[in-house]
Order: sequence, then structure tokens, then C-alpha cells
Amino acid sequence: MPGVTAAETERDEPSAAAPPGESRWRRYVPWGLGILLLLAMLGLQSQLYVGQERTVSAIFMFVALAQGWNLIGGFTGYACFGQVVFFGLGGYTTAVAMTHWGMNFWPMLLISGVVAALFGALIGLPLLRLKGHYFAIATLGVAEGMREVVTNLTDLTGGGSGITIPTVGEEATTTYLGNDGFYLLFLGLAAFSVLVGGLVSRNKFGFALRAINQDEEAAGSMGINTTRAKVAAFSLSGFVTGLVGATYAFQQAVIFPERLFDVDITVLMVVMVVIGGSGTVLGPLLGAVVLQFLSEYLRQNFTSAHTFILGAIIIVAVVLLPQGAVNYVREARRTGNYSLLANVRRYRL
Amino acid sequence: MSAALLETRGLGRRFGGLQAVSDVSFSVPAGQVLGVIGPNGAGKSTFINLVTGHIKPTTGKVLIDGKDMTGARPWAIAHAGVARTFQIVKPFRGMTVRENVAVGVLYGPSDQNRMSTALTRADEVLEEVGIAHLGARPPGELSVADARRLEFAKALSLNPKLLLLDEVMAGLRHSEIEPSLELIRSLKERGLAVIVVEHVMKAILAVSDQVLVFHQGEVLTSGDSRTVLSDPRVIEAYLGQRYAKRREGGGDA
Repeated sequence: MPGVTAAETERDEPSAAAPPGESRWRRYVPWGLGILLLLAMLGLQSQLYVGQERTVSAIFMFVALAQGWNLIGGFTGYACFGQVVFFGLGGYTTAVAMTHWGMNFWPMLLISGVVAALFGALIGLPLLRLKGHYFAIATLGVAEGMREVVTNLTDLTGGGSGITIPTVGEEATTTYLGNDGFYLLFLGLAAFSVLVGGLVSRNKFGFALRAINQDEEAAGSMGINTTRAKVAAFSLSGFVTGLVGATYAFQQAVIFPERLFDVDITVLMVVMVVIGGSGTVLGPLLGAVVLQFLSEYLRQNFTSAHTFILGAIIIVAVVLLPQGAVNYVREARRTGNYSLLANVRRYRL
Repeated sequence: MSAALLETRGLGRRFGGLQAVSDVSFSVPAGQVLGVIGPNGAGKSTFINLVTGHIKPTTGKVLIDGKDMTGARPWAIAHAGVARTFQIVKPFRGMTVRENVAVGVLYGPSDQNRMSTALTRADEVLEEVGIAHLGARPPGELSVADARRLEFAKALSLNPKLLLLDEVMAGLRHSEIEPSLELIRSLKERGLAVIVVEHVMKAILAVSDQVLVFHQGEVLTSGDSRTVLSDPRVIEAYLGQRYAKRREGGGDA
């Protein structure tokens, strides 16, 4: 897989004593590949049937969601099991504002991201003091609680019977984007999220997050304001997820709390990141593409047993590659040991 | 006492019913090495954690460079010019050795924003502690001695005015201790204040200007190293009453 190879050499480059001339152009290889991939996806659109276009749009959506989760769960190491709260909050912010206050979708897209980011900072301040399981459970609780709040704000959200964003006629504030429009918008969000992940993985901020992930106490004594860095990461993660939620709400037009705060969406994000390789940029991208593609394929070919087969595949993947595919390849390349059995043994707790 | 880089006044910490550290008052001026000794559980590590903000004191004050930093968070202490090592080494395992050190250049008082500059500076620090050749390795592959040197390098990457070394020489061989002592001496020459917590008595004697002896959470005695180490109370605390008595008896005969 050329993508893996290129990104791998690139990442190790600053530490390995590579000749400066060679390393200079290697730095740009992942960016170049990213742009090529983006162009390829733009070209692909004209080749797809309507159904396929929707499927690929969903893949883009999950790429963006997985990258968003990776910022807090992967880089920072705080496994958030309530990430869907940002998705739902973003979606409902847009839906309510478009339906009740006649707002245009485009400013609302950005505002929804900001609302999710602010909410991330707000709950991050108390919750990011918790670690491991405690953080996971607390965030799960926040998401479940928020679903109840949204369900009970009947005047604004329509409660359990849902809310309908007007997409046609005089009440429509924004021209509905249609399959083609949403394909492009989700592609844009996926590209944006990969860009955010790529920048974070290389810059100073990313160093702080990795340090916090690997040893928070040591990170503090190295001068990192761990509280600020964690809250910033959570907030940024919320921003990305909120944007996706807003777009999803507009695409669906009719939204329900059960769907927008569905815990399954969080689980999918987590599984995609973990299988692909958490704390990397390529991992969530690969994880989302492979898992969505596989899920769709199984749905079409093994209608009755598809979730069962998918579950079995996930279990096997996690047992064999607990650190995720990308991290496995990186380690194997460094040590020259590609044995899966040795890998399982190394990560057995 | 305005020259003191670090001063504590009546510093204490209680954990429930246990008074881990009580009433520690002392000061370290620039260019001095303070040795801290004491048996296991005497409160040495708690004392370091109190100074560096990892544990908040229940009583007393911590003054750094004359400024009250009592109860400040670890990163604020680091920015005030205090760096520490951990008794149990705490490398960032997913980073290379030089990236580990670069973290301190990026986030310490120098607040460097350019990655390449930070990595170059990290290489200089690694050179100083003698593990420049290991820069590209992951910390998990280092020997015990080199892992302790990395811990040292990470503290130095903050360019500190005061350095707290929590057993950086524990588990090292004789030949490995000498370079560390040499490094501490050169830091002292440069005007740093260094606090060395150590079990290796020879190391303490070789570098310390002053020694502080902890026993059961309190400062048993302090003063210049030879006087302190010949104090019968210190011998008793360390080696037990029987040994102290026998030593006295032996002296009489």
C-alpha cells in the first residue's frame, strides 16, 4: 500500500539522520498524495450512480467523524464515548435555527461547529480531570443526558417526533444541496478533518497532546499546561464533529434525537480509529473507509447476517492488531518483525 | 536571603492521618548543591512533589526566586525556572529520545515555536548528558543508565535555574556515576541551584555544599555534608539504634 509507505517514511524522517535534500521533498509527499486523492474523489463523482454517491458520501462523513474523535481519543488518549453529543448538538443547532429562525444553512454550519466547540470546552473543564474508564463513562452520560434534554425541549426540537428542516417552497432558507452537493460538502469536511489531523500531528500542539497521552505528569513538569491543551483538543474535536452533525442534519432534513444522539455513531468512530491506528492521520482515514466499505458490501451480500460478520471481523482485527493497522506497519518496519503472533503477544495485557 | 532561588517556610503535607512532611524550612541560593538524604519513606519524594506542584501543601509556603509559588501547577513551576526528574523514569514512550527532549524546549520557559530549532537544541542537551548518539531511538530501548540520562536531559531542556534530581544515580554502576557528578558540578559552576535526592552516599558527599536529612517527614538535621553524616542521630535513623550503639561502644574500646 503506497500510501502507508509514504506517510511512514515521512514520519520517521525528522528523527532518522536522512540527508536534508532528500528529506525536504519527502515532507511534502503526504500532502501531495492527499491532494491527488481529493482530485480523484472529485473525478469519481461523475462515475457514480445516485445510490453509490450516497454510500461514498457516508464514507466521507465517517472519515471526518473518525478524524474528529482521533484528536481527543487518539492523539490525547482520552477515549470519549460521548462524542455523538457534538454531532447531535451541531445537527440540532442548525435544524432549529433553520426551521424556527429562518437562518441560512451556511452561516449555521460554522455556528454549529462553534457551539459544539464551546460545549466541548464547557464539559471538558470538569470531565478532563477524569481518566480512562471514568472519562469514558462521564462523556457517555453527557451524551445520553443531552439526548433527553433535546427530546424534552418539545417547542424547539419537536421532541421525540422530530423536526423537519424546510427544504422546498417558500419556507426553505437555503437551496437543498441534493446528492451532488452533499457529496462535495462531505468530501470537503473529510478533507478539512484530515488537514486538521495532519497539522496537529506535526506542530507544537500535537507534541503537547502526544506528551499528555504518554505521561501526563511528566508533560506537566515539562511546562505543558495540560488542562489548557486537553480542553483545546476536546474543543477542536467537538468543532469538527459539530460541523459534520450540522451537515448531516441538513442532508436528512427530518431529524430525531434517537438518530442524532445515537450511541452507535460514537462506537463506529471509536472502532474506525482503533482499527486504523489511533493517534495517526492515516489510521482514522483508512479505518473509516475500510469499515464503511465493508459494512456496505456485507449489507448488500449477506443481508441477514451482515452485522454478525462485521462484528466478527472487528474482533479478529482488534485481537491481531490491537494498536491499529498503521501503527502495526510502522512498528513492524522499524523492528523488521512482521509476525502477527509476536504482535499479539507484545500487546497482551 | 533575597539571593535564595528556592525557599520553603514551614512546608508540610498531611495525607489523611499521615503527616508525610512537616515544617520544612530551608533555602538554596544560586550556585549551590543541596543534598537530600533520608531512609525510605522519610518524605523526600513528597517534599520534591510539594516544591514542583505535583502535590499541594497543607501548610507553609514555597518561594521561587522570591515569588510565592505555593500550590502553583507543575507547568507554572516549570516556567518559573524549576525542573525536575522523576525517581521512576517517565519518558514519552511514543516519541524518539530527541523528541522527548524537544518537548521541554517547545513548552518550557524558552517557548520555542519552530520544530527544527527545538530539535537542534534537543541535540545539544543530549550531547551535554552524553547520549547524543541515541537521539533517534525510542526510549524503551535505552539501558537503565541511559534512561536516567534522558530524564536528566529532559529536565535540562527547560533551561532551569533550579534543578531537582530525584535519584538520577540510583541503579547506576560506579563508572556511570562519575559523569553525572561531573555534570552536576558544571551546572553549579554555571550558577544553577541543584537539589540532589540520593541514596548513593558517595555521590551526595562528592557534590553537596549542604545536606538536609529527612526522617519520618521531618528535617532531622542540616549543614555541611561531613558534619551531618557524622551526626549520631543520622546514623541512627539510617542504620538503626543497635548499629549506632555498637559504633559508640567500639569507639570506646
